[in-house]
Parts: sequence; structure tokens; C-alpha cells
Amino acid sequence: MREKSQPEHSLRHTFTDDMADTRNLELKCGIEIHQQLDTLRKLFCGCAARLSADRYTVATNRRLRPVAGELGATDEAAAFEKTKGMEFQYFSYPLESCLVEADEEPPHTINLEALEVALKAALMLNCEIPDEIHVMRKTVIDGSNTSGFQRTVLVGLNGWLQMASGRVGISNVCLEEDSCQIIRKEAGRSVYGLDRLGIPLIEIGTEPDIHDPNHAMEVAETIGMVLQSTGAAKKGLGTIRQDLNVSVKGGERVEVKGVQRLGMIPKAVELEAMRQKALADRGKPVTSEVRKALPDCRTEFMRPMPGTARLYPETDIPPMRLEKSYLDLLKKNLPELISDKARRLAGTGINDEMVKQLKQSGQLNAFEALSSAFDPKTVAVVLTSLLKQLKGEGVAIEKLTHDRLHEMFSFMKANPLPKEGTIALMRDMAGNPEKPVKDLAAGSGMSETEVRAVVKKVISEKKDLLGKFNAEQMLMGLVMKEVRGRASGAVVMKLLKEETNRQKRPAA
Amino acid sequence: MYSKKLETLFYSKGISIGDKVRLRKKDGVYEGILMPRAGRTDEEMLVLKLASGYNIGINIGKDDTLERAPVQPKRTERKATASFDRSKPQVTLIATGGTIISKVDYRTGGVTALANPEDILDGIPELADFSTLKLTSPFNIMSESMSIKHWQDLAVEAVKELRTSEGVIVTQGTDTLHFTSAALSFMVTNLNKPVVLVGSQRSSDRGSSDAAMNLICSVRVALSDIAAVGVCMHAGSNDDYCIFSRGTKVRKMHTSRRDAFRPINELPMAKVWPDGRIQNMFHVKNRGEGTPKADIEFEDKIALVKTYPGSNPAVLEFYADRGYRGIVLEVTGLGQVPTYGKGSWLDGIKKSTEKGMLVCGAAQAIYGRLNPNVYAEGRLAKAAGLLHLEDMLPETAYVKLGWVLGHTKSVEKAREMMLTNYAGEISARTLPEAYLY
Repeated sequence: MREKSQPEHSLRHTFTDDMADTRNLELKCGIEIHQQLDTLRKLFCGCAARLSADRYTVATNRRLRPVAGELGATDEAAAFEKTKGMEFQYFSYPLESCLVEADEEPPHTINLEALEVALKAALMLNCEIPDEIHVMRKTVIDGSNTSGFQRTVLVGLNGWLQMASGRVGISNVCLEEDSCQIIRKEAGRSVYGLDRLGIPLIEIGTEPDIHDPNHAMEVAETIGMVLQSTGAAKKGLGTIRQDLNVSVKGGERVEVKGVQRLGMIPKAVELEAMRQKALADRGKPVTSEVRKALPDCRTEFMRPMPGTARLYPETDIPPMRLEKSYLDLLKKNLPELISDKARRLAGTGINDEMVKQLKQSGQLNAFEALSSAFDPKTVAVVLTSLLKQLKGEGVAIEKLTHDRLHEMFSFMKANPLPKEGTIALMRDMAGNPEKPVKDLAAGSGMSETEVRAVVKKVISEKKDLLGKFNAEQMLMGLVMKEVRGRASGAVVMKLLKEETNRQKRPAA
Repeated sequence: MYSKKLETLFYSKGISIGDKVRLRKKDGVYEGILMPRAGRTDEEMLVLKLASGYNIGINIGKDDTLERAPVQPKRTERKATASFDRSKPQVTLIATGGTIISKVDYRTGGVTALANPEDILDGIPELADFSTLKLTSPFNIMSESMSIKHWQDLAVEAVKELRTSEGVIVTQGTDTLHFTSAALSFMVTNLNKPVVLVGSQRSSDRGSSDAAMNLICSVRVALSDIAAVGVCMHAGSNDDYCIFSRGTKVRKMHTSRRDAFRPINELPMAKVWPDGRIQNMFHVKNRGEGTPKADIEFEDKIALVKTYPGSNPAVLEFYADRGYRGIVLEVTGLGQVPTYGKGSWLDGIKKSTEKGMLVCGAAQAIYGRLNPNVYAEGRLAKAAGLLHLEDMLPETAYVKLGWVLGHTKSVEKAREMMLTNYAGEISARTLPEAYLY
């Protein structure tokens, strides 16, 4: 289950050596995971579900006014006073927000694509699905939701996750809208971007069935794997957030918010357990509170534990009945777990290390599709090490779509290329996304003689580079600068090899 | 509403809405608070609020059992704690409905109207710093179901309250607020104090509601020097200030935005900030002596009809045959109606006019002034009897037509009255800065 080579786990390994013994603490831990979904549109409107790359178009200034009696067990008067003076500014973006995010238009009907992903996740986590789902409003007064509440809907409950050490209960699977992203905080004023608001988010909460810090990480990792298995979970920084609920004997439930990386979980659980124990040992009371996870896994006080969040019906969206026939269909067609798929693909002639790399880079599905038509080893190398190398060079690898790679592999079936040739070709494909692969491979415009002349010229100008680390790549870059678009990288690479060998020979 | 069958089941188990119940199914137990059910009643679905706060709908099958939980949650009634300082100037708030002075029961999600002025202070305590509110509620009705009778009752109530209060605020659902503001503009004569109509576009259960700022600014206007009927709501999407727009010149121009109510063909009478600053822009009359009167005679045989490509002029006959005395046509452009072939309205206008019906024209373009002289079709419409109403809003024209016909039996007199400015409904000049304000 654990992947030692995954970079985000490196922290854990530095910590495991000095992990304290938490066995006698009666540690209880539950995890809450928030995962953004990779849907085209937002949860309750037609906006693009992504962060904006554009400048904001409109700034709107608002205030929030918590309604008396709305805040449950928190100190209402204090909350009211605190929010009353605050001003919130919201930035709108051309493609990623509309009047719904600006709280100027009622929500549209729920995004069925997102709902289906959430239902699949709930079913994969063995949850009961309500016969009818009700969108709720959860009061939020820090300005991160323009409306003053977050829309959230419970789609699964009473589920479980099978771990090697036993079952961990899944108390709820909810589909909700992500909040605004904070841009800056000033005295009496917070500035938020509306682009993140409304991106579909799955929230999964476990029962406090976890009794061991490392187990907490494994559970989080497994839930993350289940979500990735749906094929609709976003990847990358900020798309998944983990909160922990920790208590020990003599302690209280403390929520640790915003644990950034999986690898931090064991240490964060352990440190919180030890903190509570230390307080209890000294006869000091442990207060139930919300603490913020720091980068070094310690925590700092954030706010008192809020009372049960006030949820009341979102009257703008009618309850939605989930037909049994629809749920049965979903159950029959649940996506294969990544862990199962990896196990299955391990039998297709590639080694375990490659399977692991494909899994980590999220390329299992691509591999499965391409390896049925082309040589699995070649496909695996392209999808792992070559893409990784190109990404490291800053090449726009998102231009190397599935269809493009398919075209490339088709070409290579008849015209096998060495690794260097392949990577050069991929570089050209990324730079010229509309040119057919065969044209790029053949080069266009310049004859081989002309290209060879450029290669020779560059080598003679940069003789000092020869024999140095990376010389080939640096020379390649310089030649490509002169011939880009007129000659293929594959041809350049071939000629470069010939010419550098020729240069080396007399010296040898 | 639950089905009759479920209602009976609840009754037999001693269960009421809001009780904690247990639903035992073959594979488990659901426990939660029984919530009211809106909409469909054709199914056996319970809505439960779980301990997590989430509502779910669960089918109750024939083998399932429902029971009232032995331990019931404590219910706490929230009592208003704030009170008004009676030495502060008094404003009467006439509540007729709308979200602006309703409260939500967060347990059940049900919405109820506020009963006491102190309940308003619960959400907007700062009102007590500068005013005392008196709350009356002659009726409670959805905005779209308002009728002429309601306008008349409201005018009488407003006039009564103007005797003892510094100003009057009317709250209503927003959809037809501009009809009501026009009605009060004509029906309350000899006005010497402010009459402020206000609503909200975001319900007051949410932290982002526009109700609070709209109400605070409305009370500020009700205590101001402006003697006029108008609508006071958000100036823009920001929560910074409101505009107070003339009752005959204001229109709901957006289905959902906070700043939906715009002054048309003129500037707002004033900008109003919650802290009490008022910037006068375009009002006519200041607070003064005098006794307002409710002048509520009204002809209800009036109609508002739109002409458009393919429209059937026979609708004029329909109204004329039923004894209608007046009709406002929303005409195209500068004041034209279809004049070609079978679709021509000219004959219908002529015949209706001959039958004694007053046929008026108002601009369906909403902005700008009619001028029948520019195109032949406009001149033909005028010759057929259509009375072009300058820059009067169609909705205002409709209300005014009923009020005018309620005051005279003479069509000639009515034609003259329709073009007489009673409540700022006709502007003499069209200001460039008023367009899309």
C-alpha cells in the first residue's frame, strides 16, 4: 500500500525513526477528506470548474450578517460582532464565475456529472444511499461563501472501508461546493476570488475507528485512491485537503485542519496525541478546539470547536429522488480500483516498478488503452520516464494528448525510433500540436545536408561543451533553436550523434 | 405535506412534525427529526434530519416500523431581547409579505412572518439607535397575487399611519413592488412625508441577505425630508448604499440581482447610506405641513397588452366586448403598432375608441419617450385614437389609467388627465445620464 518512492512520503520516513509510542494512549482518530472533482462545470452553475488564469473583471464589496439564532452552540453575540464590521471583496472572472457565485442568482440544478461521481464514490465505500437527497445550507460566516452558507448534500452514509487491519467506518459521503479562495487579508477586510467557489467537492468522513498514526495515513491514502479510481478526481496541489479528529484517554476531540500532505498525517496525529497526553498528565484540561496544522506537523490554536453546524434546507433546489434502477446500474458499473488495476496490469509484461510509476503518475488508464495496441514496454517508458523528462525540461506535455500519442505509436510501429529519437519527436509534437507526426519525424523544409551543416557549425562553435555532462542535450537545444519547425528533432538528434562521434574519434 | 396514509401513521404513533423518530428497516435503523415535506405527497417518503444536520428522504416500506424516539430533543424558543427606545422618532412599517421581514425556523426550514417589531431588532439591532418601529400588517399576500383592492387598503393604511408617524415603510415581495409604488403614488394625495417601499432579493435567513441594508436605508429615508413615494433598495451589487427611486418611475429590471429596481428615464431621487447620509439627486418636494388623503377611486376594467410581430388585434375586441374602459398597449419603437394586412391593429384601436374605450400607448422599449409623429405608422395609430403617453412606464400607465378612469366618466377628461403629471410619472426632459442608470 505505501509507496516509498513517492516524494510526498519522504517526511514520514524522517519521522518514523523517532515516532513516539502511542499504543497506550487509547488514541481515537477520524479523518475528513475533501477532494475537488475534475468536472467540466461547477456544481450549481455552468461556469468552468477551475481556477482562473485571467485577471478579474468585476470586484464586489459585501458584508455578512449572521442571523441571530443561526449559529448553533457558538457564541452568537461574539460572532455577530466580529463579522459585523468585516468587509469582503469578491473578484469575478470571465469564464469561472457568474451571478450564481456572486450570490445574485439562485443555484441552477445540481451538476449530474458530479453527483454521479459522488454516488460512485459512496457505493465504492459501501455506503447506504438515501432514497431522496436534500441539498442543505451550512452556515459559514467568514466570507468564504458569498451567500453566507455552503451548499452540501449527503449522498452516502453508514459505509465502511476494508483495511488490512479491519474495517474503518465511513460516516458520510457528501457532495458540496468548494469555497472562495482567499487572495489577501487586510485589517477589517478579506479579498476572495470567486473562481474556486462552486467547484464540486467530495467530503468523506470516517468514524473515529483509527487507533494508530500510521494507520491514519493508510486510511487517507486508500480513500484518496478510491477517489482517484473514479477517474474524476482532480490532481495536484490544493485539490485534496485532509482534516484529522484526534483524541486520547483523558483528552478531548481536537480537529486538526489542513494537513497538506499524506506523509504528514502520522506525525500530526502522534504530536496531537502526545500534546493531549502531556496536558492530561499535568492535570490540565484539554479543550475541544480546532487547531491548524503547521508545516512541521505541530499544530497551533485556530478557534474553539464550533457547535454542530447549522444546516437547513436549500429551498432553491428541490429534493431529488434517486431511482433504484439508476443506483443498480451504477453499482453494476463501478470503476475498477486503481489498486486492482495495478495488480492486473502487472501481468501484462511490464515490471512492478513500471506499474508503480504508472500508478503514481496517474497513467494507468492511458497505459491500459495504448498497450492493447502497441508494445507495452514502449508505451510504459513513454508514459513514465519520457513524459517526466520532458516535463522537467518545461515542455508543454499537456499538448501530448492521448490521440497524439496514439498517432505517434502508430508511426513508431512501422518506423521504430531509439529513445533519443522518440523524446526528440515528442518535443516536436508538443511544439507543433497541429503537424502530423510523420511530417515531424521526417522533418520538413530542410534537407539532411542542410541540417548537418547547422549541426557542424554549432559543434564547432561550442567545442568546449564536448565531453561535458549533458553536452548532447545542450547542443541539441542550440541546434533546434536554429532549425525549429524546419527539421525534426529526431533527425537533428541522429545527426548530432553522428557528428559528435566523428569529433570524438580523432581525439580517441 | 405528507400523504394521508403517512399522516394517519404519525397520528397513530403520536408523532408530530419536529419529533425525533426511529425508522427500523430490515438492515438498519435511521434516527432523526421528522421534517415537514414540501411538494409531492404521492409517495411514502419520510424526510429526516439526522444527527449530522443533514436531511435525507427515506422510503418507508411495508415491513418497516416507525416509532417516536423515547428521548426527545429540547426545544428552545428564542425570545427577542432588544427593545426600541420610544423617545426615538417613530416610523410605521406596514408588512404585507415578502422575505424581507420573515424569519426561518432553522430546525424545520419553515418560514414565518415576524410578529413583533422587536423581532426585527433581533437581526438589525442598529435600527433602535435612531428609530422606533411600529409594525402593522393589514394583510399578508404573495407579491404576484396582489390586487387592486390590496393597493386601496394599503393606501388607506398608509394615510392613517402618516398621521402619527414620521414616515411609512411598506414591505412586500418584490415582483410587483413597482405596481404598488405607482398605485400609492396616485392614491395618496397631498403627501407631506416619505412613503418608502422596500423588499429584498436574497431571503433574510442568509448572512448575505440584502434585507438589513435595505431596511436600514428605508428607515433613514422614512425619517428624511423627502416627501415622496418611492422604492428604496440596493444601488448596486455592493453592500454600500441604496437608491430611493420615484414610485412612478421605478421598475424591477432583473429577476434576481440586489440592484434590480432601477429608476427609468430619470435619476434616483436620492442616494442613501446606512449611516444616515442622504444625497439628494432628483426629488421635487420636501417634508411639510398638510394632511395626506387616500384617494382610492379606481376602475378595475383596465388591461395591459403588448403588440408584437404576429400579435392578434382581436384581443381589443375581447376587452371591448367585456365592457373594459381602458387599455394600455405596450407599443413598439417610438409608438407604432402593426398596420399591415390582417395583423393591423388600426381598425381595432379605432373601433374600441368609438365604443368609448380609452386606448393608450406606452413604450415596450421601457427606456425613452414615445413620439408618434416620426413614422407614418405612429401617425396612423394616433389618428385611429391611440393616446401616446410620453415617457410613462407601461406598468405605471396601467395603474394610472385605472385611477384616472376611477375619477371620471368622461373619456375626453380621462385623455387630458392621462397626459397631466400627477406624481412625477411624466418627465418633461429626458436626461442623458438616466439611461441604464
